[in-house]
Formats: sequence, structure tokens, C-alpha cells
Amino acid sequence: MNKTLVATIILAVVVGVFHYVLFPIFTPKGFSWVLNQYVYFLILVLSIVAYNLILKLKPAMAWRGGVVWLTGLYFYKFILYPPVPWTLLITYMMLWSIGTFLYISQDEDTFREFRAPLVKVVTGEYKFARIIVFTLMPLLVGFATYQSLIPKFAEPVELRTVHPAPPATTKVHGKTYGLEDLQNPYRVDEQDNYKDSFPFLDADKQEYMKFVTEGGTVFFQNCHYCHGDQLNGLGMFSHVFNPTPANFVDPGTIAMLRESFLFWRVSKGGPGLPNESTPWSSAMPPWEEHLTTEQIWKVILFEYWYTGWHPRTFDDESSVGE
Amino acid sequence: MNKKTAITWKTLAISIALLVGFFLPSAVWAAAPDVVKKDTLELGKKIYFKRCVWCHGVKGGGDGPSANRLFTRPRNFLQGTFKIRTTDSGELPFEADLIKTVKNGLPGSAMPAWGEVLKDEEITAVVNFVKTLVEDRSFDDVEDEVLNPMEFGTVPWSTDAGGVTGLNLYLNVPQEAIDQGKEVFIKNKCFECHGGEGRGDGNPTMKDDWGFPILAADWQQCWNFRGSRRDAYDPFNVVRTISTGLNGTPMPNFREQITVEDRWKLAAFVNSLCPRKRMDPLANKPVSDFLISSMFTEGDIARSIDDPMWDAPDDDPKLISRGEGYPGTLNKKHYIALGGQITRGNRNFDPKADNLWVSSRWSPSEGAVYYLVEYHLRFLSTDPEYPDAIAIQWPGKLQDLYGAEKPYFIFGDSKKPVDLWKASFLAKDYQQTSPPNEAGYKLDVKVNEFIGNGFDAIKEKETPANVEVVDSIFKQGRVKILFRRSLETENKETDVQIFQETFIPVSFFQWSGADKEKDEHNALSTWVYTILEPPVPDSIYYMPPIMAVIFIGLEGWLVWMTNRTRKMYKEGKAK
Repeated sequence: MNKTLVATIILAVVVGVFHYVLFPIFTPKGFSWVLNQYVYFLILVLSIVAYNLILKLKPAMAWRGGVVWLTGLYFYKFILYPPVPWTLLITYMMLWSIGTFLYISQDEDTFREFRAPLVKVVTGEYKFARIIVFTLMPLLVGFATYQSLIPKFAEPVELRTVHPAPPATTKVHGKTYGLEDLQNPYRVDEQDNYKDSFPFLDADKQEYMKFVTEGGTVFFQNCHYCHGDQLNGLGMFSHVFNPTPANFVDPGTIAMLRESFLFWRVSKGGPGLPNESTPWSSAMPPWEEHLTTEQIWKVILFEYWYTGWHPRTFDDESSVGE
Repeated sequence: MNKKTAITWKTLAISIALLVGFFLPSAVWAAAPDVVKKDTLELGKKIYFKRCVWCHGVKGGGDGPSANRLFTRPRNFLQGTFKIRTTDSGELPFEADLIKTVKNGLPGSAMPAWGEVLKDEEITAVVNFVKTLVEDRSFDDVEDEVLNPMEFGTVPWSTDAGGVTGLNLYLNVPQEAIDQGKEVFIKNKCFECHGGEGRGDGNPTMKDDWGFPILAADWQQCWNFRGSRRDAYDPFNVVRTISTGLNGTPMPNFREQITVEDRWKLAAFVNSLCPRKRMDPLANKPVSDFLISSMFTEGDIARSIDDPMWDAPDDDPKLISRGEGYPGTLNKKHYIALGGQITRGNRNFDPKADNLWVSSRWSPSEGAVYYLVEYHLRFLSTDPEYPDAIAIQWPGKLQDLYGAEKPYFIFGDSKKPVDLWKASFLAKDYQQTSPPNEAGYKLDVKVNEFIGNGFDAIKEKETPANVEVVDSIFKQGRVKILFRRSLETENKETDVQIFQETFIPVSFFQWSGADKEKDEHNALSTWVYTILEPPVPDSIYYMPPIMAVIFIGLEGWLVWMTNRTRKMYKEGKAK
């Protein structure tokens, strides 16, 4: 039997076993030094090389070139983490194709060997292959032409800045605040002291929890429709609006912002955003229209207490500088 | 006899009942409620007072701070009335029922799914704490409380999940079962509350056990079924509700009237009404469309909604093919999500419409574009002071906008005006309490055009652009309004000019008159885009063959060249 055919069958079996059996074992939820997808990939590649050497298969050059190219595709598609978008995948694969070509054309013999089956298809020595290729290609070209002529539209992609630069000052309910040194007046104690305290239950005993309870009350009368009962940005109306509401549980939102930034965003809402943050489609109300300054500060306090995040702060030394 | 032996006796009785149950499959066995697991209460209380208290209240009375602004109100636990159960009407639920509710949430209400936020032991703990909040009865009362698990049988047909990963569409239910299910629906008068086509438009006067108004489920939006368990198309959800009823609501059980076999048929019918759409796994609602493509139409466009030109199934055409012989020629209905206007002025926390379905056609020879807007609304207004209304919003000065820039989505802003086409209407000869009317009701429509410069700065146009509503109807809980306008108008300063192949921002407003909605108190969508699709070019018929023939020529050249090179190698002319 043809050795290339044997090599193809073995490759299919090996990759199938690796991908469906070993890959899940190597990718548990936590990343470890041995059990990760890169180690898995190394073992896969080494195994393919090893059995080809041991069995002395020596498949045709064109076949080897194809396998090398597919190995790269497999790496970028399944192994590389985090997954890359398809535009980047195409860029990587173009580079990989050049690499594969270098491998094929390392010397004249290998290149000729690689070329041989292709030439045989063209000249008709592989008669059956020529019929298939020469019929399919024009059909494919016709289909591609059809696809490019049919009108197709997708909505335009719009980019926006999620956390724009805040202004230096903001005027809320007639009073001007400098955002640089603005503090939450209700942060009367260290937040972590109230990890095991609870709204309503401890509101009478602890001043801090009284403020949290009041803030939560404001939140669950006004904010949860968008930001969600779980503060994860999945409220009842969240899917209606674009941009989607902020997820406070995510480390990329309130966890990396200062309370004064939140005070500005909450008070001024969507209409207070600069143009790069698409103020025209943000459903965030300018809360100064509905809430008092005190309520705004309390709801901010509540959001940090509920999610367990700490507002971003700059300690005195680093902010003063040398 | 002391209490302990009583419990033992009870256990014995249950065991016997269970045993008998195995031999007599039709017998319904009774069980005691799952007693409160005391050791979980401390953890349960902590979770309750962090996560649940805001809606369900300090004592569990469904009166937390948010309660008055929610429609469907949060559950009042005090009476031990739970809707989604596997037990008989009026009975307490099993612990497993409550756990499923907490895990999956109650779609269509503010209750989110906690399965991804809380651990299993935390959910069990908080469910047990909630059980202790029940005042009027007790889960520990194993002597008086009897739980009869209902018999549901199993799905009688093999269904096909369809081609969407992570979503079972439950397709291929036999048409025969659906037809028989419809007979069960008529025989049991389900339409009295759920309406003639199941949109929940039967009875406007219903109240729950606490006197709060309550609506019948809209079967054509099964993703909003409270008991859908995040598996909206599963017919079991319907069988369960028919078998157990919904405690605290006017929904009774039908276990006497409808056999288990027929319940599955009824479920098949109910289920067949719900359009198959891709679901957003986070929102548990259909994925919204952000582009409304307007279909190119040669010649005049039909001015009647009944024309096949305006007919398309509600299903996503990519999931369900419309079948041969289907008369409709519309490409698709676009699904636009609506939410309450909770941003400015008089906010609307409980909108009555959840979504719109929009389709469009345009004709260059007629020089006009048409938008057919459909939505479900159970009850229309009969008060001329508060008519129902729908509006389409456009940027007023499209030519002045740069890039992605748009006017503020709630009626524009001072610098960037919006062009509003508003149709206000009352149904003719309509009463909210009228029985289902298959013919539907004609609408008395008034069209106004406004320029918006903010929600508090809307004024009527002095030179309207002649927007028309050419046809409209309210039928079985669904409103359909067909707008028409010429592509270009004379007054280019205030009217949006609609050009071919241009992405134009558009958004929608909906007012429910029966809910006294007016002005900025409405339901709205975000900005989406619309585009007038160009006709398919004629070149599509001749270009592909031409390209293919050219390629065949190239192939011939390649063969010739290769052969020539070979020959040269053979003759030693090349190396």
C-alpha cells in the first residue's frame, strides 16, 4: 500500500485521539505547568515526528508541506490562548504560509519533490485528480463571483471609549466639586470591617451599614433595571440598550475607578459624556435630575460594599511626587 | 402518641405509598414537605439579607424597596404561595422546585438566575431560609401539609433540537398533536384568559391573591414564561403549569379536565405558537437585530397588510425554512427589543410591550419607503385622552452628522434634532373585555410629525412631510401599523432624507394608552440602523459564468505552459 495513504490514516487517528481525548485532559480550568495546551501541542507535534521516523514512512514532500501548514493552523485556532480574532488569524497564517514555503523550498530537490505531484495533476498523469480539480476550480470561481455581487449588509461597527477622561470639576445641584480630591462623605470607616454585616439587619447598629442600606434602597429603586439585581449589568432592560450597562462585578469597571469618577458619571449620566463615548445612545440618566447628592454618594458606597471592590485611591506620597 | 412516633408512622406510610406507586404507575403518591434544614439557616440568612431583601423585603412580604416599581411584583413569601411547583394546586412546593426557581430565575420578571452567582450549597441555604419566612403555614408541619407530586408523563414524541448550539428548539413535533392540542385549547376555554391566539389578551380584570393586577401569559413570547427554566421551548414547562396551576393567580390546574396525554398535545399547540429565534443566553430573550434591511421592490408596494408582500413568519428564517407554497415574499421580520424609558423626566418602570417586529420595503419607481411595525399588546386604550401610539425616530439633519454621531436617543438634543413620525390610534368598536375577535379591530389612526430637541422640547412640524399610515389593525393582541413616506421631501432642513445604500439611524417609541403612557413616559428602543437594499444587479446572471470560462482558459494555458517546460527539460533546453 501507498505509504502516503498509510501516513494520512495514522495522522487522522492520532490527531483525532489527541484532540478529543487528550486535549480536554490538558486543559483543566486552572492553568498549571504541565497540564496546559502548549505542553499538549508539543507532545502532539513530537508524536507525529516520532511515529513517522520509527515507522520510516517518509511521506511525499507535498504531504509533509501540507501537514506543516495544517499544524500551524491548528496551533493558532485551538492552542493559542486567548483566542485571536479571525483577522489576526489570517495575518498569522500568511506568515506561517511563508514559513511553510521556506520549509518546502529549503533546497532544489525538496522543492522539485514538492512540485512533482502538482505538475503531474496539471499534465494529466494523475488523470482523475486533473478532472476533479479542473472542473471544481471554475465552479468555485463562478460561486465566488456570485457571492461578491449579491448585495449584503451588516450594521456598521461602532467603537466607543468606555471610561473617558473625567473633567477637572463638575457642578451638581448648584455646587462645584473638584474631582481630584473629592471623597465620599459616607465612607466613614474602612469598608472591610463590614464584610459580615448586613443591610437592614445591622442598619440600626452601624452607621456605615445604615448608609449601605440607604444606598441599596436607591439602587433597587432606580439602577437595577439596567445594572441588574446582581450588579452584573444584566438587568431587565440591559439587552435593550447599546452600549450595554456596566457590569460592576467585572474588575474593569468600578474596581479601577475612583469614587469621584463615579460621582461625576452618576450625576451627569449619558448626556454628560464626551463625544468619543457616544453620549447620544447611553441610557444612563443624569441622576442629578432624579436623586439628591447624598443619595448618589450612598449608592456609590453600596456598589462597592456589595461587589467587595475597593475604589481606586492614590496614597499621599505617590500623588504628591518628588 | 408523641410527635416522634407520628413522624415515623408518616414515613412508613409514605414508604408504602411509594412502594405501591411503583406497582400502580397511575397512582399519585403523597409526600411530606421537605422540612427546614436548620443547619443551613445561618448561611441562608446572610445570603438573603445581601441578595434578596431588596425586593422580597425584611420579613419576606414581597415589599422590599424595589417592590412598588416592579410589575410583576416580587413574591410575598408569608402565605407560602409559590407559583412554579411540581405539586398540586394550593400545596407547598418541594425544595427542589424552589432551588430550580432560584437557579434559573423567573424570566420576564426582575428575578435573575442565581445559578451562576451562588454555589449550590448557598442556594439550598437561602431556599431553606425563605421557607422559614412563610408565616401562615410551615414546611415543618409534616402532619398537615401533604405534597402530591403531579404526574407529567414524558414527552410522547422525539423532538429535534435544531441547529443552534446551547439552545434546544424542540422541533418536529407531529402536526397531528398540535392540531389535537388546539381542540383541547378550545374545549377548555383557555382563550378566555390567554386570548384567541394565545397572546394573553383575554381578560383585563384579573387579580392575584393579594389584589394586585395580573396578566395571562403571552404564549407567543415563551421566553417570558416565568417557569421556562431558561429552556423556553421545552413543552414540559407548559405541561407542568397545566398540571399544577399557578398558586396565588387565577391559573387553575386542569388535572381533572385534561388527561396527561392531552396535556402534552395542548403543550404542543402552545409551544407551536412561540416563534423560534436565537436567544441571547445572558438576557434569555431573542437576540435583537441592529439593522433593518429595507427590501428592494419593483413597481408599487402593497398598501394592505394582508397582501403576501407583507407576509413573513415570525420564526428566524435561518432556523426554520418557511416551507414550500408559503405565500409571503418578505425577507424577514426584524426583532427590536424595547425597554421602559427610565432615563429622563417621568420614567416608565413597567412598560407593557417588550419588543417590536419591524419589516420594510422600498420602491424607487414609487419613490417611497414603507415600514411595517408590529407588536404584542394585550389591551388597547379606550380613552381618547390616552390613545395608544407608536413612533419612528430619525435624525432630523442626517447630513450634519459626522461618523457615528447621532442625536440623543430620547427625542434628540438642543444641537441635533430628531424627526418623529408618530401614529396615535384608538380601536373602533373595541372593549377590553370583548371576547376574541378573529377579524380584529380597525384602528382610527392620526399621524403627527414632530421635531424633537430634547424630551421636553418637542414641537409639531409646520410643514409635515406627508407621512402616512396606509393600513393598520389590532388583532388578537397584536398591533400592526404600516407607515409610508416618500424617500425625499421638499423640506430638507427638518425631514430626514432617505437614500439608497446609506446606513440611517432609526429608533422606536411605543405608548400604551391603557397604562396611561404619554410623552416621555413610554417604552423605547436604542438607535438601530436601516438601509435601503439595492436591487440585485443584472450582472449576477452573466458575470459568474464569464469568470468561470476565463478561468478555464487560464487552466488551458497552465497545461500548455507546463507541457512546454517539460519538453524543454527533456530536450535539454532548460535545467
